[in-house]
Amino acid sequence: MEPVEVKVSDLNVWIGGSHILKGVSMKAPPGAVTAVMGPSGSGKSTLIRVINRLIDLIPGARVEGKVLLGSLDALRADPYEVRRRTGMVFQEPNPFPHMTIYDNVAIGPRIHGLARGEELDRLVEWALKMAHLWDEVKDRLRDYPHQLSGGQKQRLSLARALALKPRVLLLDEPTANIDPVSTVKIERSIMEYAKTTMATVIIVTHTPQQAARISDHILFIYQGRVVEYGPTREVVLHPRHDLTRKFLGGEV
Amino acid sequence: MSEARFKLLVAPPAIVSSAILVLLFIVLLYYSLPAIREYGLGLLASPTWKPVEGAPGEYGLLIPLAGTLVSAVIAVLLAMPLALASVVFTEEILPRGLHRWREAFVSMIDVMTGLPTIVYGLWGAAVLAPLLGDTLYKWLHSSLSFIPLFSCQPTTGNTILTAGVLLAIMITPFIYAVVRESYRQIPRTYKEAALSLGTTRYEYVRIMMGMAKPAILAGALIGFGRAAGETVAVALVVGNTFNMPSCLLAPSYTVSSLIANQFANAQLYPLMLNVLVSGGLILLLIGIASNILGIMYLRRVRYVA
Repeated sequence: MEPVEVKVSDLNVWIGGSHILKGVSMKAPPGAVTAVMGPSGSGKSTLIRVINRLIDLIPGARVEGKVLLGSLDALRADPYEVRRRTGMVFQEPNPFPHMTIYDNVAIGPRIHGLARGEELDRLVEWALKMAHLWDEVKDRLRDYPHQLSGGQKQRLSLARALALKPRVLLLDEPTANIDPVSTVKIERSIMEYAKTTMATVIIVTHTPQQAARISDHILFIYQGRVVEYGPTREVVLHPRHDLTRKFLGGEV
Repeated sequence: MSEARFKLLVAPPAIVSSAILVLLFIVLLYYSLPAIREYGLGLLASPTWKPVEGAPGEYGLLIPLAGTLVSAVIAVLLAMPLALASVVFTEEILPRGLHRWREAFVSMIDVMTGLPTIVYGLWGAAVLAPLLGDTLYKWLHSSLSFIPLFSCQPTTGNTILTAGVLLAIMITPFIYAVVRESYRQIPRTYKEAALSLGTTRYEYVRIMMGMAKPAILAGALIGFGRAAGETVAVALVVGNTFNMPSCLLAPSYTVSSLIANQFANAQLYPLMLNVLVSGGLILLLIGIASNILGIMYLRRVRYVA
């Protein structure tokens, strides 16, 4: 599967009457983790929901600009096509409560007819290993997720997304409500997935620490505008903007 | 108003309304006892209905009981797909931009739950029964008579199947309301999760319906309870004939339509009134059981993984 670069140009989003994203442009290269950071309400979640067209669900949302996933024009393409190539992990751990652990991971490949039988078993195992959850659930794949801890549920949600081997993986503050041990495991999975499969990973985070730990590039958004974009080292050690410096220092 | 007085004001009505159920049960049981003592299990198991003036006749409720169950099962089987399709239509297919239209459509279905049931009965007797009798039943008999359910020659539109169809129309709005309310409570994060997997709308709806399964079961049970208890509309279309509902194209009886039809002259026949009351008792038990089970399933609807 060929690597896919995500390229956003001059993106404007309005929801209801308010201008949420104001001329955002960014790039997220394959094989790397790009962190989108900024205070709450800055439009970070909206940005990744434009990339996989979940923005279509929000009544009264209007989108202008261009989003490219490789050569696919995401804003004009069939939303199902866009979402097939992208995976997403949300802020709340949300494995489907009525499906077993196994079925939660298998649902994507099943729907798209990617694997069956032993091949599907192997894919599920691969995804659960990639999400650093396999050792904890391998003996209870037929159990329901309500017995798992919050952090385990979130890793299950991650495995569900990974099972489709998405070329673009979007994460919306995936560790905001998660215990530290699971947070470390999720961060490791994300980095490994990007490096080993040349996937494009975009993670929204409100903590600069997380951005510094796991990302290769940082996009700092403030009130719907891009303030700073660059390699993580540069942005963290030598921020060019005053606002970035304040955010990194915990003042914004 | 003081705290104590306020409590005194609201407590008695609440206690009385829950006590009514218990009293209802006791009274029905009390009046059923003579019939239960006389006929024992035959009350449920005997298909005979022979009233004798001035002496205890032979009474068994098997036929009307079978009629009640058959018509209610038909009703649920027909109503479920209608109700689920309506939920999908109003919640997923009607465009979000047409919010006001959607709510108007939803209210229209909701209004149907509150209509006087005699209205359905009149429409059923005047329009539905003759229509089905002249068209569908003739066709069912001529082309599918090798199936025992359609083996009898239809002579009239007033049949157990018509009762089932009419009941289906009557309970669809109830099932729809139960399932819709639960469906609407599915948190957005699950909808987003399902769509983020690249599901088509059909696959997405299947996942959501799987999540709402307890509510779907609850809707079926509550609908079954209503169908089993419905009286006047059924009495107008079921044919009111002591006839085992083993063939759906023939008239039959249900417990409630039997009570409605026989109650007025039951005084003339010793024990008949007691037999009818015991039929009422059975309906009460069916109603309680299906509602309790339904409520239990509804309580299970918790969209938390």
